[in-house]
Amino acid sequence: MRISLNWLRELVDIDPDVDTLAHELTMLGLEIEAIEHRGAGLSQVLVGQIKTIEPHPDADKLVVCTTDVGQDHPLQIVCGATNMRVGDKVPTAVDGSTIAGGFKISRRKMRGVESQGMMCAADELGLGSDHSGLLILPPEVPVGADALHLLGLDDTVLEIEITPNRGDWAGMIGVARELAALHQIPLRLPEFTLQEGTRPASELSSVTIEAPELCPRYAGRIITGITIGPSPLWLRQRLLAAGQRPINNVVDVTNLVLLETCHPLHAFDFNKLHENRIVVRTAKQNETLETLDGQTRKLTPDMLVIADARHPVALAGVMGGADSEVGENTTDIFLESAYFHPPSIRATARALGMNTEASQRFQRGADPEMAIWALDRAACLIQRVAGGSVAKGRLDEYPKPFAEKTLNLRYERTDLLLGTSVCPEAQRDILERLAFSVTHSDAKSCTVRIPSWRHDVGQEADLIEDIARVHGYGNIPASLPPIRQTDMIFAPKERPLRNLRNYLSNIGLTEIMCMTFSNPREIENAGLPEDSRQQVTLQNPLSENYSGMRISLVPGLLSTIATNLRRGTSDIALFEAGPVYIPLENQDLANEGYRCAIALSGAPGGKHWSAPARKVDFYDLKGYAEALFDWLGVPWALQSFESPAYHPRASARILLDGKPAGTMGETHPKVLRAFDIEQPVFVLELDVDPLLGESAPPALFTEPPTLPPSLRDLAVIVDKSIPAADLLETVRKAGGNLLSKVSIFDVYTGKQVPEDKKSVALSLVFQAIDRTLTDADTDKRCEKIIAQLRKAHGAELR
Amino acid sequence: MKQKLEEIRASALDTIHAAADLAELEQLRVKFLGRKGVLTDVLRGLAQCPPEDRPAVGKVANEVKQAVADALDARKEAIAASQEAASAAAERLDLSLPGRRPLRGHKHPVMRVAEEISDIFVQLGFQIAAGPDVETEYYNFDSLNTPANHPARDLHDTFFVKPGVVLRTHTSPVQMRVMERTQPPVAVIVPGRVYRVDQDASHSPMFYQIEGLLVDKGISFADLKGLLRLFIQRYFGPTTKTRFRPHYFPFTEPSAEVDISCTVCSGKGCRVCKHSGWLEILGCGMVHPEVFRYANYDSETYTGLAFGLGVERIAMLTHAISSIHYLYENDLRFLEQF
Ligand SMILES: [Zn+2]
Repeated sequence: MRISLNWLRELVDIDPDVDTLAHELTMLGLEIEAIEHRGAGLSQVLVGQIKTIEPHPDADKLVVCTTDVGQDHPLQIVCGATNMRVGDKVPTAVDGSTIAGGFKISRRKMRGVESQGMMCAADELGLGSDHSGLLILPPEVPVGADALHLLGLDDTVLEIEITPNRGDWAGMIGVARELAALHQIPLRLPEFTLQEGTRPASELSSVTIEAPELCPRYAGRIITGITIGPSPLWLRQRLLAAGQRPINNVVDVTNLVLLETCHPLHAFDFNKLHENRIVVRTAKQNETLETLDGQTRKLTPDMLVIADARHPVALAGVMGGADSEVGENTTDIFLESAYFHPPSIRATARALGMNTEASQRFQRGADPEMAIWALDRAACLIQRVAGGSVAKGRLDEYPKPFAEKTLNLRYERTDLLLGTSVCPEAQRDILERLAFSVTHSDAKSCTVRIPSWRHDVGQEADLIEDIARVHGYGNIPASLPPIRQTDMIFAPKERPLRNLRNYLSNIGLTEIMCMTFSNPREIENAGLPEDSRQQVTLQNPLSENYSGMRISLVPGLLSTIATNLRRGTSDIALFEAGPVYIPLENQDLANEGYRCAIALSGAPGGKHWSAPARKVDFYDLKGYAEALFDWLGVPWALQSFESPAYHPRASARILLDGKPAGTMGETHPKVLRAFDIEQPVFVLELDVDPLLGESAPPALFTEPPTLPPSLRDLAVIVDKSIPAADLLETVRKAGGNLLSKVSIFDVYTGKQVPEDKKSVALSLVFQAIDRTLTDADTDKRCEKIIAQLRKAHGAELR
Repeated sequence: MKQKLEEIRASALDTIHAAADLAELEQLRVKFLGRKGVLTDVLRGLAQCPPEDRPAVGKVANEVKQAVADALDARKEAIAASQEAASAAAERLDLSLPGRRPLRGHKHPVMRVAEEISDIFVQLGFQIAAGPDVETEYYNFDSLNTPANHPARDLHDTFFVKPGVVLRTHTSPVQMRVMERTQPPVAVIVPGRVYRVDQDASHSPMFYQIEGLLVDKGISFADLKGLLRLFIQRYFGPTTKTRFRPHYFPFTEPSAEVDISCTVCSGKGCRVCKHSGWLEILGCGMVHPEVFRYANYDSETYTGLAFGLGVERIAMLTHAISSIHYLYENDLRFLEQF
């Protein structure tokens, strides 16, 4: 809503300082979006009347005019425009003035002829971009008057955002009323006297309401013999300041009154209404209506229309119809002022995708009691600007009269809820200033009648809010509440999840946050198993890419890698920990479990001068898995499996307690191609949800051995296909209780060993708790290990 | 004999002092102190001394022996030091070369800021609570005094999963879920993802909110002001000013929006604050009696305060991030700055 301060000042005597006013409105709950100083920087532009136009002696494209600006002598002005005639009134920048762009105008010679000022085109006053000719002012403007004022260029416009509860703020009067209440000064409603003709309106037309639930009130007036034409300047300026385009005098008046009262009006060409009458009804099946914007709308039976004897002529409260539009040749009009059921208007506007000035206001609830005042005000203005005769009386069908509501306010409750001590008189006074009328009052409480435009007020708390607003939120004290503890734990997994994220980001992984949307193509591209691709889908997604909710973190990781590669970052170590959304059959909600996924690619360790850069491989990823499970304190195992997601050479299921809990491996080349990734990627995804919440049992201390260990290294040659884990298992068994630790320190394949063999070097640590081991003890145990390796795996000592 | 010992001392100290390297020094040690060394020789002759002189001569002999040993040690130290100095000069490291760093990861700025904000309330005694992203209309709207056709629903641009099921448009449904589980007192803080059909220069269809709810006897708007002012001063610094201005939310009454003095210009007016000197950072209010009715709380006995804030905006203010879209593009060049 754009608030012209020139206009506002007519309704209430406000502070002249714009910043003060903006602050006051803000603190009343009207949020200021922008402040526009119209005509800022312009000065000394007067209304001039062209007296003579003569050719320039030395220039074909220039003329020399004399222009009367109400001073002693007319000004001689050299001008390049061609659209003006003698007698025209134009904005004239006199010597010493400033026009748009900060240009200073002074006397100067143009091709040898003195020019004592400048006649302005619209763009030269900052009014749009029209430079086709001089801005011709309407003939009624007085010569020598301040053209900037007439053009609204001395105005300030506040753009305010209106909260949906306060429909009444979408009108100038509603805003003025708040300021009047704040300053305890009167609201100055425009005064007018309507001159009615002798012919009763009821003889000319009739109104029938067939759907009283959707249209509690419908009023109208008939004005005959009007002349359609452009509106006078003052009216056009009002609309322009409010951001509306002037159309013609009748339509402009209805728009002006809408802006003033917040009550939408509509004017029909009376002679285009079949049988000259109005029927308010719901649309019939398959009915259509061409609306004012030229679109043909398909109507449904739940939509309320204004019809004549035959067809719909307007979409009630949303937009008029093209057929009954007021145009150049209109002479008689039917002026509508109604009150429609807000949810019905909202539904119709939404269904047709139409958001109009009228529908916005009706949706929030216009003022049924304002309908008549607005109707008469508009009729009066139309008569003023378009002439004609207003038929005697109104048509006013009011089948569902507005039910006045009252509310009780307990003064104590105000102070309890606000933490204030506002005395009862002050509380009552604020309400009265906001037009609540007190019907009853005692020491502890009062009863007030709610104004017809305050649809938002339904409970005591609403009254208390109004008191708080006008009392001033800034005047409410601040205190610290006591916060009592309970033993409820609402979200046991949040803290462990945070710990997990902290841990992963501390061991070299960067946390990402992806949009939690996904789509079937992406899921297929990532090679997720076909039997679990069911998504929570959206009925109104923003795009195909965001058609549903994610079921895995992996597509997001892969997309992120692709994005970073495109932008030149190729060394990547990422993780995300967050929810996935698995649909549950016959249930509204999804299973929103937390997962954790890690992805590595390139050489995230970076380059160092001391060694060549090393690209990550599967074992880097496995290292992260080992670290993670070690940190979680959870035993785990890997099981190789086939999956379209992973390269067959490195594809594993993560088992916890023997049950699948995740997957890891090298991303399948086909998946990489689908995501446009041209370097190997290693990915892990784990269902961490069951691991959060319960902390691992505390570690129990074991005494470190005090006697020195005995160390042995040995290398064996075995078939390439034998897993290292099998060798270690055999070694551990054979080593028994004396073998405290075994680790692999080298794996070799190449010329030194036969082709399908590998050499595995093991480092063994022997330790007895109760004695120092002799060489003989250790050797004996070593031999047993070698024998077992030979027996179980055909291992040969290297 | 004494004189002989003194001569040995003098010549030993001279030659030791002149020794050039450790090998020569070792030779000197053998020469003077060795089993066949000069001093041993002399001491062997002690037997020939008159018995009454022996203690005195013995004492001198020991002193000389000690002096020679000390001199050897001192010279050894000196030679080692000069050798180390010489080799250090040759092997001096280029201290300016980069070290080998352990890998460092980075937490996502939205998550980090959300945690910092939650922590302030947790320290005050609030509990973390959570709820589902895929939510019923009942929890997201109806129970929060926003029935179907309520104009406030237009503000939300809701994603629908099916009739009655939406992606939550705010974290407020968790208020109702928490209140259904327990009677007052309630003090919870709810971080989480929320969704709106909105994608432009300043909106992301998914974003992160933090909700707070405090219900007990006697909670007032003054408490709301005090609590949020405390939070703002802890997060943004003690000199940050706050401003509560009336606003509208269907589930609170009275409602307010809270502005802080602009963190960029300290309230003088700049582009970030649209020259107002204020930045809007959260919405809040006193829990609407209708919400309590849905929760089966007695709104005569209990009052409550609630607030909600967008984490992205605060993260952007905190880190001077120019566009919300950086937050969810996951460009590592962006993430590694935090
Ligand atoms: Zn600023």
